[in-house]
Amino acid sequence: MKLYRLIQVVLLLSLLGAGSASAQQGVTEDTILIGALGPLTGGTAFIGAPGRDGMQLAVDALNEQGGINGRKLELRFEAALTPAESVAAAKKLVEQDKVFVLVLASGSTGAAAAADYVRSVGVPTYNIFGATPVIREPFADNVFHGAITDPRTSAAALIERLTRDGDPERIGLLAGSYAFPQANLSVIRPMLEERGFDVTVETFDQNAKDFTAQLVSFLRADVDAVLVLGSFAEAGFAIKQAGQVGLGGVHWVVDGSAVNNAIVPIIGNADGILGYYNAPFYPGQDAEPMERYLALWRAAYGEPPQGRPNIYDLTGYGSVYVLAHAIDKADDDLTWENLIASWERVEGALPSDFGGYDVVFPESFSATDHQGNDHLGTAVIQDGVWTVLP
Amino acid sequence: MTELALVLLGGLNFGAIYALAALGIVLIHKATKTVNFAHGAFVLIGALGAYIVQVQLSWSAWLAYLLVPPAVGALAALIELVLLRPLRRADAFSVVIATVFLGIALSEGVRLIYNAELLTVPSPFQGAPFLIGPVILTREVLWTVAGSLLIGIGTTLAFRRARVARGMRAMAANHRGAQLCGYSVDRTYALAWFLGGALAGVAGVFAAPAKGISPDLPIAVIAAAFVAAVVGGFDSLKGAVAGGLLLGVVETLAAAYGDSALKNAISFMLLFVVMLYRPEGLFPEVKTRHV
Repeated sequence: MKLYRLIQVVLLLSLLGAGSASAQQGVTEDTILIGALGPLTGGTAFIGAPGRDGMQLAVDALNEQGGINGRKLELRFEAALTPAESVAAAKKLVEQDKVFVLVLASGSTGAAAAADYVRSVGVPTYNIFGATPVIREPFADNVFHGAITDPRTSAAALIERLTRDGDPERIGLLAGSYAFPQANLSVIRPMLEERGFDVTVETFDQNAKDFTAQLVSFLRADVDAVLVLGSFAEAGFAIKQAGQVGLGGVHWVVDGSAVNNAIVPIIGNADGILGYYNAPFYPGQDAEPMERYLALWRAAYGEPPQGRPNIYDLTGYGSVYVLAHAIDKADDDLTWENLIASWERVEGALPSDFGGYDVVFPESFSATDHQGNDHLGTAVIQDGVWTVLP
Repeated sequence: MTELALVLLGGLNFGAIYALAALGIVLIHKATKTVNFAHGAFVLIGALGAYIVQVQLSWSAWLAYLLVPPAVGALAALIELVLLRPLRRADAFSVVIATVFLGIALSEGVRLIYNAELLTVPSPFQGAPFLIGPVILTREVLWTVAGSLLIGIGTTLAFRRARVARGMRAMAANHRGAQLCGYSVDRTYALAWFLGGALAGVAGVFAAPAKGISPDLPIAVIAAAFVAAVVGGFDSLKGAVAGGLLLGVVETLAAAYGDSALKNAISFMLLFVVMLYRPEGLFPEVKTRHV
């Protein structure tokens, strides 16, 4: 009987030990391991590389102040471009590196690919760049979303920009054939058609530079306004070539990925083009938090190349501070369950709460709403520079 | 009719860049029998040279046309000297593999140095476009098409007539015979790589305002340039120019009057049709033999 009780106690202790070890993976007495994945090469490297750099800036700044509740943060970033690489990177980070939290800094393609896996293992996951509904639906307790809004929110913002300076009747939709623009297109097209607009849709391959055929189609349809769903490079070359095919007098609106100053040298005189921005200030805009952030960026990485820092730098930076809020609220009980519960209590999280710079919108979460940010600033090119209107 | 003219102009604009890139590939292959898969990376370096001259140094765009091609040519000749010359006695497969990975290494080097999605270069022309009836012809499109045609014609004539190209002509006609006649293989190969590299450099300078500079530029250019070269006839300089222009026009016509998704597919369909039914290309070099 005694032996039986002893075996019971040993089994119970070992189960408790195993449970505790697996729930607190990535957490030691003095460090918390954060895993992140995103593209560092290829056509969407403009998402992952800035995301990594922005996150590292915030991690270094927080660690300089002593970390969160005495624990330093450690960022482990895995390069992942394709869907297969994204799943492999997520598995490696969770199962091999044993990270405590997983950040999907990979845009819609990677986020969609990793969605099933992160749901199945239950690791607290922060989708900071993916707009795709695949990562948002069905709702998962362990998956949170950051500054990049869902397609329905951005679609409403884009329609507002399309109709802001007039009342167009015929609208051209120029959309990339890859995940992010297609996710937006699937939402915005029916919304425009419901509102009675005459819509002409043309698509293009990722990194396309020749839009002659699509623009000629818009010319044929006599569109009043064109909405570009794609990157700044794609939007820039499309707008530039519009002049070459005689598509003049058209109102141009571009989505968040295209709000980048590097569009201006492509087009030349680009003033008046509208878009939305997932942050309150554009890099370089006259605002104190942004000036301080840029000084921090330069101190870490030197003089920025054309187009950097971009929205993904800012979002990566801000996202680490949101994580800091959730970890801080979880206090010393750093289990996945408690982190998720704490995350759902985060309200109005801003970098300045931990000594950072407020270059992102505040993020709030609840048990039923895991979308941290719903704000989209109105961006317009003024004097050759993108500006987010107050 | 106006619409067709606009579509054709759009196609010629991109076809002109394909033509210049194809010209360099054909020239190197003609003189050295090397298929240079690093050619796209040379185009990228040419485009980057335009960025450095125009944006970083704020010099005139015309200086880019003047300085960048010889610089890229010199780099290509240096690569031939240092990397490919030791492989000259290796089998063709080894040389092809070497150029493939050389191209990747050069592209990745550019990516590491300029960690940006895209670098942009302003057009050398800012003036109002020309109006031919309802058809708009911008100065940039006119310059790209006319410039590449002039360079294509100039290269073809130089290859045929210039004294300095005699060694390359001899190698192209009969590699072993040329050596027996005393032409220096080292000098001829170096010259061919210099000229091929310079043509890639000038293609890059033309491509920079139209396509921007990104690490995916080599793939985009090399694929189209190879199709253009095969369609034109892989040993024909005039065929490379004609093939490039034809490819640009066919791609744009297919996208405009078929489906925009057809744009890339049509180029490979064209390639297979030519390879199946006219493997010597549409504009092969006429070979005359005096007996």
